[in-house]
Amino acid sequence: MLAPVLQVLQFALLIAAAVAVLEGWLHYHFTRWEKSWFLPAGVLGTVTLVMAGAAASAGGLVDPGRMLSLGMGTAAAECLVALFFKHVVRGRHSLPIMLLAPAALGLGLLIAYPLVFEVYLAFHDLKLTTIMAWSRTGELPFVGLKHFKKVFTSSPLSEVSFWQLFLRTVWWTFINVFFHVAGGFVMALLLNSVTRGKGLYRMLLIVPWAMPQVVAVLAMRGEFHSQYGFVNVMLAKLAAWLPFLGDLGVGPVQWLGQHPFLTCTIINVWLGIPFMAVVILGGLQSISRHYYDAASLDGASAFQQFRMITLPLIRPVLAPAVTLGTVWTFNNINVIYLVTGQAGGTEDADILVSALYKAAFAFYRYSYSAAFALIVFLILFTFSMVWLKWSKGTESHYD
Amino acid sequence: MTERGARTAGLLTSQAILKAHHRREALKTALVHGALILACAVCVYPLLRILAVSLRPGDRIISTDLSIIPQGATMVSYARVFAETHFLFWLWNSLVITVATSLVGVALASTAAYAFSRFKFPGQRLGLSLLLGTQMLPAGMLILPLFLMIMRLKLMNTYLGMVIAYSVSSLPFSIWILKGYFDTIPRSLEEAALVDGTSVFGAFYRIVLPLSTPALAIAFLFNFTQAWNEYLVARVILTDSYKYTWTLGLFDLQGQYLTQWGMFAAASLLVTIPVMAVFLYSSKWLLTGMTLGGVKG
Amino acid sequence: MRAALVVVAAASLAVSCRMAGQDEAGDRTIVVWEQEDAQVFPYIDSVFEAFKKLPGNEDVRVIRNHYGTEDLRQQFLTASIAGSPPDLLMSPSDTAGIYSIAGFIMPVEGAFDLSKYNRPVVEAITLDGHAWGVPLTNGNHLMMMYNKRLSPTPPQTTDELFEFCRNRAKALKLDACMAFNLGEPFWLMPWIGAFGGWPIDNKTPTLDTKPMRDAVAFTVDLIHDKKFVPMECEYNCTDALFKEGKVAFIINGDWAISTYRDKFGKDFGVARIPKLSATGRWPTPMVSGRYFMLNSRLSGQKLELVKRFVEFYTNEENQIGQVKALMRLPALTEAAKSKVIMDDPILRASMEQILAGKPMPMATEMRAVWDSVRPHLGRAINKKATPAEAVAKMQSEAVSKIKEMAD
Repeated sequence: MLAPVLQVLQFALLIAAAVAVLEGWLHYHFTRWEKSWFLPAGVLGTVTLVMAGAAASAGGLVDPGRMLSLGMGTAAAECLVALFFKHVVRGRHSLPIMLLAPAALGLGLLIAYPLVFEVYLAFHDLKLTTIMAWSRTGELPFVGLKHFKKVFTSSPLSEVSFWQLFLRTVWWTFINVFFHVAGGFVMALLLNSVTRGKGLYRMLLIVPWAMPQVVAVLAMRGEFHSQYGFVNVMLAKLAAWLPFLGDLGVGPVQWLGQHPFLTCTIINVWLGIPFMAVVILGGLQSISRHYYDAASLDGASAFQQFRMITLPLIRPVLAPAVTLGTVWTFNNINVIYLVTGQAGGTEDADILVSALYKAAFAFYRYSYSAAFALIVFLILFTFSMVWLKWSKGTESHYD
Repeated sequence: MTERGARTAGLLTSQAILKAHHRREALKTALVHGALILACAVCVYPLLRILAVSLRPGDRIISTDLSIIPQGATMVSYARVFAETHFLFWLWNSLVITVATSLVGVALASTAAYAFSRFKFPGQRLGLSLLLGTQMLPAGMLILPLFLMIMRLKLMNTYLGMVIAYSVSSLPFSIWILKGYFDTIPRSLEEAALVDGTSVFGAFYRIVLPLSTPALAIAFLFNFTQAWNEYLVARVILTDSYKYTWTLGLFDLQGQYLTQWGMFAAASLLVTIPVMAVFLYSSKWLLTGMTLGGVKG
Repeated sequence: MRAALVVVAAASLAVSCRMAGQDEAGDRTIVVWEQEDAQVFPYIDSVFEAFKKLPGNEDVRVIRNHYGTEDLRQQFLTASIAGSPPDLLMSPSDTAGIYSIAGFIMPVEGAFDLSKYNRPVVEAITLDGHAWGVPLTNGNHLMMMYNKRLSPTPPQTTDELFEFCRNRAKALKLDACMAFNLGEPFWLMPWIGAFGGWPIDNKTPTLDTKPMRDAVAFTVDLIHDKKFVPMECEYNCTDALFKEGKVAFIINGDWAISTYRDKFGKDFGVARIPKLSATGRWPTPMVSGRYFMLNSRLSGQKLELVKRFVEFYTNEENQIGQVKALMRLPALTEAAKSKVIMDDPILRASMEQILAGKPMPMATEMRAVWDSVRPHLGRAINKKATPAEAVAKMQSEAVSKIKEMAD
């Protein structure tokens, strides 16, 4: 029983230590830059830290040659950094930088390396036949823009071109985010307006978010089965009970075969609403009741109150959720893959990324996939920069 | 709602209007409850179907039978989950990783968000945009480089590697949402405290954080569910079956064609419980308006 | 403050030193990655344990890691690129082509005597003149299984089968007559053979052919016109229908035998997939097996240890034990003659079906065939394309995918 607790303590200590070392290092650079011994002491300290870290991660087995070059490299780098702090930074902005540093380091490590790696792959040629050479020698032939050209000229799917896929992806993103936000609002406002049974409702309503996504999607997929799914069973009963509805075309539908895109969208909307609802519910707490009281005294209708008070005041919380939600939906393949990736696979619901997975990845065209992913990245990045400019998402209220 | 209704109605003298108003309010409440119950049903129904799978003998995920308690219902799958798998091991691993991730993630995000919200420094806008940018590479593309990096850092099969990967990947959302919320808190509060001699960190810790519990709760919940349900990264980092999180363990039950659906469903329901518990508990924080309303506007 | 920092830093270094020291994997550890079904784990682990009990193996550790089919492929490639692959893979043959081209697994014909095994099962793992794995089971093939309560004897031809569907099935009020997972290309293969074709000739796809067209038309006819096969019914659905007694026949693989036998007992029967009356030919399911594949970095003493391990796992005693425990047919010719199989009508029928099958192509080009057939078969089934259009598309797409692969 003691061992796991020790294990937990051990790694809590490790994280705390890493943050402490980082902050200490920064603190030194921000506060001691005027001292005459700033540069030599800084180099000495940093080199010691890096060497100790390297020795620790190598498990005490150190290769002297490598350690020497590591030390020299660190010393040179630290010289530049220290000079930068001494002459450019000069102790300014110390607080925000120190607050940001741990997060920035983590993100840099986890995101920057893969990104650089993907860029490298996209311009080189890694595929099944070059893998072995690469893992032996670490070298790949350079092919320039070849893979990028291929992304636009050839489609990963057979029936759908790149641009059709792109349009479908935009449509998919729009419709999903729209219903997530709209549904989330309705749910949050409803939840906020009841007094009794709040806790119970809240717990039940987040079920789709709380459940393991794979399980949730597979269960929902079952509900859309043309013969045995709940949806069609109910539709059939409805049509039998109210024959005029049947005449209007209401009845069992071949969801997965004929309308895979619609099915995926419904399932994804169902999955995403609870999350938005929770975000909006949190946001609603920042709005004072007094506004509504004042407004209703002035005779404002519920809709006017929503438009004039709720929407603008919830923006600081909602805007990031919507922006990120858009990016996530654009890149979300779970639902599409789980619903249409199996038997009788259809291309009618594929979006850019799911097509990338289905087609490019299956053939180990690592470089082509990397180029494809970078293009998706660029599309999203351009779009969100425009959106941020327009919605002023990065600006603070009090600027 | 009724309170407000009563106050508005109090301005009017006619008894009849008051009564009509009450009736309208009651109808409204009933409608709201009706809508909520319907929404709950839609949300919970698939969960009940999974319950049915877990109780159904003979490993079938699809059935022609729509009843929730199937014929010949049995708890055998639940017993087998505990008897035949390392389920408790997996739960413990997931729990440690998830709790640590949530704490580390929220701590790092709140300080970073505070920096973005309250200070002006070079690269501020760019930083926020880059945060968004990190979410734009399709997740599957990161697997190969992530694996190579985790290997080089000697973090294979460690909790540490998992916690770093998880808390960092949830940071962008947490930072954005917290920054948004911090922005709604007037600076005058902290300025007053600073005048009284509180340090910047003290002002952040004693004034801004307590006022931001709803946003902290959202960030915590987000970190928690992300880490709890994550699969891809865990698959890459963990190869030792004693270090498995439940997501990896659960997929052990899935074969190419044959899947032990009964156990799969039973385990899925069991792992949903902690998340529900966290939601139930954190909703207290999610809905504390605190004194915020009083100081604003 | 400074002092505290130093203490924390020193402590963390000490801790990380210890952590780094822990994961020293000795040369006597065999890491096996598999993608088996969970119910097979106890059997596999028992053989691993038996190996460790052999004299001289006291210090050997065997680590088994499970992956899903797709995961295994991706993780093995990733780990191989990073230079830390497992020693052994336990896997069906279909991915071996990729690994062999990438150079991640080694040819085994020099190290093992492959003449001991059934010839077709070795053929299914042979590419470019080398064998890329050591077989541990023979099979992974489809056959017909039936519920004796609904149909005491199996139909011998498709005409008899359709006759049953038209009359008996109606009388028994069955939901559908046969649960054939026809949306999945693997289930289409036996019928392609029965119409006189095959999807690939060595490394060239042969999809736009009359037999292919006929096989696709046959599928669409069964679903849409005859309605003998339920709509949108993929694997789990067919499995459920059969288990619930709502269909009399299912075409399923040898992996499902033990579950069905547990469930139905004496009422469960196995037979060859009925002869196609239109051509008078028997359907030809794809036959392969499961194999041990050896990572190409193995050498020296470690390779010797791994070899001893594989030989132990596939020796006659364990091959027969495997039949008893898992109902999977052995790859070893000697073991295939054992009484356990001959005395068991189900295993005998399964063995007969194997003899009527064809080795599953191992060439990487087959992957392009699978991926091209799947979507267009789906389009044909949903009547979004005629069989002729669908097979033409399959062919052109498979050809272009193969071209892209090399590009």
